[in-house]
Amino acid sequence: MFHLGWFLSFSTQAWHAPHSDRGGLFPNTDVYVDFARALERAGFDYLMIEDGSFIPDAYGSSMEHSLRTGFASPKHDPMALVPLLAASTEKIGLIATMTTSFYPPFLAARLMTTLDHLSGGRVGFNLVTAHNDRTAQNYGMDKHWDHSERYAIATDWAQAVTALLTSWDEDAVVDDTVNGVYADHTKIHQTDYAGDYFSSRGPLNVPPGPQRIPVICQAGGSPVGRAFASRFADTIVAPSGSIEWMKQYRTDIRAGLVDAGRDPDAVKVLFLTDFIIGDTHEDALELQRRRHAAMVADIEGRLAYMSFASGIDFSTFDLDAPVPPVSTNAAKTTTAQMFAGREHQTLREIASTIIPSLEIVGSPATAADQMEAVMAEVGGDGFLVNSPITPRAIADIAGDLAPELRRRGLIRSEYTADTLRGNLTAY
Amino acid sequence: MFHMGWFMGTGFGVYNWNQRWSGNVSSDVGNPQLFVDMATSLERAGFSYMMLEDSSVLPNVHRGTFESSVKNGGTIRFDPVPLIPFLTQATKNIGIVATISTSFYHPFMAARLFSTLDHVTNGRVGMNLVTSSNKSAMQNYGLKDLIPHDERYDRANEWVDVVKALWNSWDEDAVLMDEVNGVFADHTKVHTVDFEGKYYRSRGPLNTIPGPQRHPVICQAGGSDAGREFGARNADTIIAAVKGVEEMKSYRDDVSARMIAMGRDPKDVKVLFLISPVLADSKAAAEEKNAAMLKASAENIDAQVAGFSYFTSTDWSKYDYDEPFPDLSKNEGHQSTMNDFARSGATIREAVTNHRTQESVPLIGTPESIATEMGEYMDYAGGDGFLIAKPVTRQNITEIADGLAPALRKQGLIRPSYEHSTFRDNLLAY
Repeated sequence: MFHLGWFLSFSTQAWHAPHSDRGGLFPNTDVYVDFARALERAGFDYLMIEDGSFIPDAYGSSMEHSLRTGFASPKHDPMALVPLLAASTEKIGLIATMTTSFYPPFLAARLMTTLDHLSGGRVGFNLVTAHNDRTAQNYGMDKHWDHSERYAIATDWAQAVTALLTSWDEDAVVDDTVNGVYADHTKIHQTDYAGDYFSSRGPLNVPPGPQRIPVICQAGGSPVGRAFASRFADTIVAPSGSIEWMKQYRTDIRAGLVDAGRDPDAVKVLFLTDFIIGDTHEDALELQRRRHAAMVADIEGRLAYMSFASGIDFSTFDLDAPVPPVSTNAAKTTTAQMFAGREHQTLREIASTIIPSLEIVGSPATAADQMEAVMAEVGGDGFLVNSPITPRAIADIAGDLAPELRRRGLIRSEYTADTLRGNLTAY
Repeated sequence: MFHMGWFMGTGFGVYNWNQRWSGNVSSDVGNPQLFVDMATSLERAGFSYMMLEDSSVLPNVHRGTFESSVKNGGTIRFDPVPLIPFLTQATKNIGIVATISTSFYHPFMAARLFSTLDHVTNGRVGMNLVTSSNKSAMQNYGLKDLIPHDERYDRANEWVDVVKALWNSWDEDAVLMDEVNGVFADHTKVHTVDFEGKYYRSRGPLNTIPGPQRHPVICQAGGSDAGREFGARNADTIIAAVKGVEEMKSYRDDVSARMIAMGRDPKDVKVLFLISPVLADSKAAAEEKNAAMLKASAENIDAQVAGFSYFTSTDWSKYDYDEPFPDLSKNEGHQSTMNDFARSGATIREAVTNHRTQESVPLIGTPESIATEMGEYMDYAGGDGFLIAKPVTRQNITEIADGLAPALRKQGLIRPSYEHSTFRDNLLAY
């Protein structure tokens, strides 16, 4: 059995694309409630809301492309959406992104504990360092800390938050109504965390939630990002690629976990995957052909994506000349992946080529075959659907594909635990 | 007509743990249902808003331990912000105000969070701004020492300026959602803020689109001079804790004068006064109930004093409870409250016993008699309404929502229904 998650933004979705239904009514939240309930029926482990705090303006040195097309902006604060989804569902895990660069640890620990109570133990936080100077400038800095310092800060942050989350012993709440004692004060401890970047007196002024430490999710692909994940993460959002690449990635992650003194099976690695589902296998191949053609035709969209990820303005480059060497302090791994082994290609060729992430293309039955085969090869823990939430995508994946997976015993037939942590570690 | 609100003294916390009429509170700590029931009840009663107080510290000042804080759960406070969507999902009209500290939230984070909440609540959210006066709370956030009282308000004013600038970073007509031509927003109508202040900087713009209110309602409490200036400058509604109808009148007049001096229309701020009505079926029964409450409070003197220890960051357990209240005018937190006590010449025991909750005017009687008194007080003081400051129990909610509110409505003192869809519009409707 493997796990399923869905990776999304609290954003415009495919707001003017075909089949986007109420995407045009963004940010109407009914769409998200319907979505979460559908995923819960399908037995998904969690949905994960990525986030960012800036409007991209690298491409063309202007916000124009981003705002005109609704690309990567607007993005609304996922922490405000999580409670609404928690109130509308019962079992599915809800993970929202939080930046270790700008959230004070006490605020983070208290917010997540509160959400853990409100959701009955179903929340997690996806920790990011935020990769963009614009974000840093919104928070009053001239430019962002460099990549390695961001992770040093994140490590200190995660230690401070963990210290606060464990400031009440597991048995501190006694709820003794006969003797009139809610909590035993000798089991609540001043934290007095003092790190290089953060300090916090503690304890939290809230009792621990059902999970005590909400599930920690992480997505960094760089060596320091992986080292961070191996220390703190419970689930990892992994980029996908060739089978060989994914196999190697998972092997590296597991080795890192062993080095960090952790059980490699304790962390669930879910690969970000594109899905194209048709009634028949041939229908899906036709959909894939059309989708790729549309992407290639939108060269501006491709370049804007590359600029967004790297912070480099590709609008100033010659489309038909090879790309000179580039370096960035932003999303290092993603940027390196774009150019690896393609030094001889022109910018147009690179931009027009689909980045080789894993695509599952087929009817529900043939798609399930492929997923089964990938997991058998890679030995990963599951897939993270990488798609805007449209009624069609929900119907295809939660309504058609998931039941097929369930019939084959590849995904859970029911939630066996009450908490996200419990379900995530059930197998 | 005046406005009604409910001041939730320990926010999303624990009320009357293990006491009579408090339901399953013992095991329901952190459960949203009581507050959901409260929101639907207060909406039925026509309340303008409910306001969740907050604090970021588990105090261990009193006797140097956490015992008084957690024995009955009284100082536990969950983050009120994530409770908001639970309350608005169950209601259609009532406004929900949550407290956030200008000392702990970066303005960009606050502006973005509340812009998002404005969408999630369909325009029914507000923020109660506090500057945080507690040393341990500052230390929880890694700040070494308390910022002096008046500087906190300078910072807070600048904080509000950044937040409002960010809320204005998208023009009203920036979002086109033109599905035919594929234009989501007009980028020429979205602007960087480039705020450079003494304490804060932010480039902007927000990456969220403006919500139904555009500016969520801003609420403020705090009666010091700097606090009143802050309220007159920035607030849409003010929580006033004073003693007596004369002080109510002078408070409202003072806020109005300050607003005029700042070029604001006094009608744009609604000043609501804290009350704690004691309701029963007859005047005599209400008096009896009040006496029993005072007696219970006196018998539980240590718990009351513990509250003061927290309030003042001073361990009051070491003082003789029957000596006069010492002069704490140097106290950096809650200055105006402490000065009032020192001036009164009361002993600690007397001050604490009679303090109960902040109460502008005592109201003891039947729903009808109290409604009449409230109308008279409001006529005289010229304020904009009242905030109920009673503990959140279903009994108290029922007495107010299903006892007092219908009596107020019969006398034409509160709204018969909500006229507008947003909190801001309903608040400013009269």
